[in-house]
Amino acid sequence: MSLFVASLGFGLVTASILAIAAVGFTLQFGVTNILNLAFGDVMTASSFIGYIATTNGVGIWGAVALCALFGAVFSTLLNRLLYTPFVRHGTKLFGMIVVTIATSLIIQNTIQAIWGPSFFSLKFSPGGSYHIGSMVFTSSQFGIMAIAVASMLGVYTLLRYTKLGKAMRATACDPALARSCGIATDRVVDVGWLVSGALCGIAGIALAMNVTSFTSTTGGTFLIAIVAAAVLGGVGQAYGAMLGALTIGLSSEVAAGVIAPSYKQVVAFVVLVVVLLIRPQGILSEVAEAKEVAA
Amino acid sequence: MSVAWQFYFSTLLIYLAVDVMAVWGLNLQFGVAGISSFAFIVFQAMGAYTASVLTLGPEQGTSFQHYVGGASLPFPLPVIAAGAAGGLLALLVGLVGIRRLRADYQAMVMLVISLTATYVADNSTHLFNGPAGLSLVPKPLFGGLNLSLVNYQWFYVGLCAVFCALIWWFVRRFTESPLGRAMRAVRDNEHAAAALGKNVFGLRMTAFVAGGVIAGISGAVFVEFLGAWSPGSWLYPETFVFFTAILVGGTGNNIGVAVGALLVPIGFLESTRFLPNVGYPGFVDALQWVAVGVMALIFLWFWPRGVIPERKRRFPQPGEAPRTIGRRLLRSRG
Repeated sequence: MSLFVASLGFGLVTASILAIAAVGFTLQFGVTNILNLAFGDVMTASSFIGYIATTNGVGIWGAVALCALFGAVFSTLLNRLLYTPFVRHGTKLFGMIVVTIATSLIIQNTIQAIWGPSFFSLKFSPGGSYHIGSMVFTSSQFGIMAIAVASMLGVYTLLRYTKLGKAMRATACDPALARSCGIATDRVVDVGWLVSGALCGIAGIALAMNVTSFTSTTGGTFLIAIVAAAVLGGVGQAYGAMLGALTIGLSSEVAAGVIAPSYKQVVAFVVLVVVLLIRPQGILSEVAEAKEVAA
Repeated sequence: MSVAWQFYFSTLLIYLAVDVMAVWGLNLQFGVAGISSFAFIVFQAMGAYTASVLTLGPEQGTSFQHYVGGASLPFPLPVIAAGAAGGLLALLVGLVGIRRLRADYQAMVMLVISLTATYVADNSTHLFNGPAGLSLVPKPLFGGLNLSLVNYQWFYVGLCAVFCALIWWFVRRFTESPLGRAMRAVRDNEHAAAALGKNVFGLRMTAFVAGGVIAGISGAVFVEFLGAWSPGSWLYPETFVFFTAILVGGTGNNIGVAVGALLVPIGFLESTRFLPNVGYPGFVDALQWVAVGVMALIFLWFWPRGVIPERKRRFPQPGEAPRTIGRRLLRSRG
């Protein structure tokens, strides 16, 4: 029983990182209709930015801010300079997937060319550990959970209570209609990439904070869980992604703790398969149905 | 030619044959039936694994490697079994992935399947021997033939040619038939094909399983030559190389994609083999992958239909006499 509770603790931390990443991934799809499979690799890039920052004496909070900035700027540029031109050029759905996977390979291997295939870890002190029942958290893990809660509240407030958020939801549902209602959809899309890119950057450094070491492929592997969480919640749905992240994060860590560590990614995969078989458009499905991703 | 060059060229030809078979399989799935099959490499790996264990013989108690269902079957049998295994796996993957999903959504699902397969193979030591994989797979007919190493290489090139010819025949059975026409119709307009009474799911599944069979066979031919199998050599970027070959060659055109296989995996990846290895080991490899990605982007932008585009098929209008017969009639008159 204590093993179960302890792994629930790990699950909360994993779910926090996953929530940040999955919401970012799903927002990108929602506002721009592009499934950005380079998402995991942008996360890795931001882990390495965090590595550079922490080894050069920047504090961990400074590094998180830096990574958020890097992720936001990098993702927006990626969309502006690569994805949007291809879409305007007439590249269709499958072509865009080739574009994002090519981007993913380019980013991942550029990182590998620069830093080599070795293992890296952030230079910071994870702080003392605290016991809550049989759950153990370090202060850095509390930090990760706090960041996740703050970002989720931020995204919720943005989408729910601001005019910009309303415009984003409108663009996600029907871009043509949104444009004809006077919404500057291009600017909304830019903001969407800035926000989701910042989430991607934060998720990258949070992942690096939580694992003992990372390589140039860490983010790419994490993509399994991100996709599973996003698809479970209904791709394009920010709240759905939060729900999905919580489910996948908790269940994968419990499986890892109770059964065997190697089951971690498999659980995410099994959830994905079940969702695809039963309800391929996900739990909350308005955006997925509007964009006809699955039927 | 010196012995070393003979070795190099024969090896290159074998690689080419394997890649050509693989892109024909993928072209059937993607180019003809329009399935975003980003898990393709898994079927090839499955075929290769099946062929290895069926050649290796039963597992010895003291062996350094673990696998299931070891047997030492005579030569063509492991390859046939590999085709069956590839097709069976494609059937299972197809039950999940071939639904009415948007092309990019389907590609994402397939990619995740491929990532998970690698993860599972790496972590299940008893089934797949973990990241170390299998080695010392005996070469087919090597003992019986009594050939020198170089001559055996050329013998294997001939064997590959036979397999290529068989696969060419098999693929053409699909693409040059009413079945292939129905598959292309499903690819181009799913709803219209369904309205004409075509079984969309069945047609896609047929193409997907046939592609899986071809993938399995190509993997088997490859592993019987290499003598080793490990999960790390069948990662999802390899599927991307095949997709790049298809994009470069011409989606949907069997000859085009074969040219693509010659240009991308062989021409492009092998030509950089002789570059001096600067930096740490793996540096040049990383740059190669960057270059493959850039190449896919360039072709998608400038030549999205490839160097040899799929030929436009023309069919006579109702009432209009078929062209060839008309010409024959003219010729007989004049």
